[in-house]
Amino acid sequence: MVVPRTDFPILNREIHGKKLVYLDNAATTQKPKVVIDAMNNYYENYNSNVHRAVHLMAGEATDSYESCRTTLKSWFNAQRAIFTSGTTEAINLAAHAWGKENLSSGDVVLMTEMEHHSDIVPWQLLADDLDIELRYIPVKDDFTLDLEAFDASLDGVKLVCIVHTSNVLGVRNPIEYVIERSHSIGAKVLIDAAQGVPHKQIDFQKLGADFMAMSAHKMMGPTGIGALLVTEEIFQSMRPFMGGGDMIQTVTLQGSTYQNNEHKFEAGTPKIAEAIGWKAAFDYMSNIDLDAEHARLVEIARWTSKQLEDLGAAIYGRYSEQDAAVVSFLFDNLHPEDLAHYLDAMGFAIRTGHHCAQPLLERLGVKGTARASFYLYNTMEEAGEFIEAVKYVLQKFG
Amino acid sequence: MNAALEEILDEFEEIEDRMEKFEFLHDLSNDLNQLPIEEWNDSTRINGCQSEAHVKVWIESGLVQFRGGADASIVAGLMGIISIAVHEQTVEFVRSLQPEFLARTGLLNSLTPSRSNGFRNIFSRVKSIIGE
Repeated sequence: MVVPRTDFPILNREIHGKKLVYLDNAATTQKPKVVIDAMNNYYENYNSNVHRAVHLMAGEATDSYESCRTTLKSWFNAQRAIFTSGTTEAINLAAHAWGKENLSSGDVVLMTEMEHHSDIVPWQLLADDLDIELRYIPVKDDFTLDLEAFDASLDGVKLVCIVHTSNVLGVRNPIEYVIERSHSIGAKVLIDAAQGVPHKQIDFQKLGADFMAMSAHKMMGPTGIGALLVTEEIFQSMRPFMGGGDMIQTVTLQGSTYQNNEHKFEAGTPKIAEAIGWKAAFDYMSNIDLDAEHARLVEIARWTSKQLEDLGAAIYGRYSEQDAAVVSFLFDNLHPEDLAHYLDAMGFAIRTGHHCAQPLLERLGVKGTARASFYLYNTMEEAGEFIEAVKYVLQKFG
Repeated sequence: MNAALEEILDEFEEIEDRMEKFEFLHDLSNDLNQLPIEEWNDSTRINGCQSEAHVKVWIESGLVQFRGGADASIVAGLMGIISIAVHEQTVEFVRSLQPEFLARTGLLNSLTPSRSNGFRNIFSRVKSIIGE
């Protein structure tokens, strides 16, 4: 069942006088009214800081804020859930709070050519500080990771960072294999799950990864909040890197002691409204058959990619059952930026450019692609309208 | 503002349909003083554009000279507008020009400098070369 379009107020708006067809979901998803209402309700009825004051509204705010963490832990079966501003901050937190404490000169961090910049740059910055070595698992011509090269690259590796699902290709990586092999040599594994969690309820402990980073806004929650899930073992080996309010037990002029729980890594007034909104998004998702919906969306992506291919586009993806509904494509005679502007004039929102994954695009031999990405409220009918719109633009550039 | 630029902006304002605006912009790319691809290099490249965009700007007898090229038609069209705005104009005039004039075209969804907005980056390059 497609979620009702009416649940998403923004989908009622017109774009340049045309019906909005929103196909930029890998960048951010739209929010159901229940998420917006939950955040408004907090600001209108119990806006207070959390964890401190004894008054009624402070108690209500604290309970609502922490209920998001409880839901996060339950949804992902995770021992520890640290709130961050999103996936990027989550990976930076891992680099600073765990990396600086547990990596040293000569250690190897192994990544993939498929990573988003947010899972490359933090490790490059850390390499500048610690003199660690960075290696990358290559991407093959079929858009999958070269696992033989991965197996051959494990010597000296202390941490493997791998994207669950590529935001460019939609390819879902064999993370179970990567985790098993990495753990067999004692390396830890960080999963960038930004594009994975919107489509699948992942069991963090069953998966067996050590870190998992995500953003709320990719799964119908608000922007500005995300999380780093970690195992208890990892949690105990992390040192706070941001100091301030909320993360301390005591502060004297001679030194400070820190909280024992996740607050230790959440200095300053946290993202209260955002956590409340994210909780509402989880509640909304809990009523959706995600597996069935995912199968429906991949079918739409498969159909769309075939239509685009028939129109002469190069397609960067494979659309197997576990992949995300992300269609990256490129026409020889039509620049993606031109296509995106013309589509926008017709009400279609797509993304163009390097998608914050420049090393991958360099590997693919292109500077950018056009990308249409589908989510729960999208329909096959919209995909058909999208194809007709692309045909119209192609005719213009004849 | 010079008369030719004023005329172009008036025309954009008269066009209501967004697709027609883009078609008009496409036509303007033909009026651009082309910077041949052979002359594209790191010093002419405009970083931050989604398309490959290059400009060459210099001053001759007190007048600004502008040439440009881009692989996206829309970016080439925006360069066409900039060319009309600054080419063969006095340095003083170009220094006084603010990029907000593009808002009258109704072409861009945002004038904020960002990855999605090559116009601002191209215009800034012109200003930085002639000295703000």
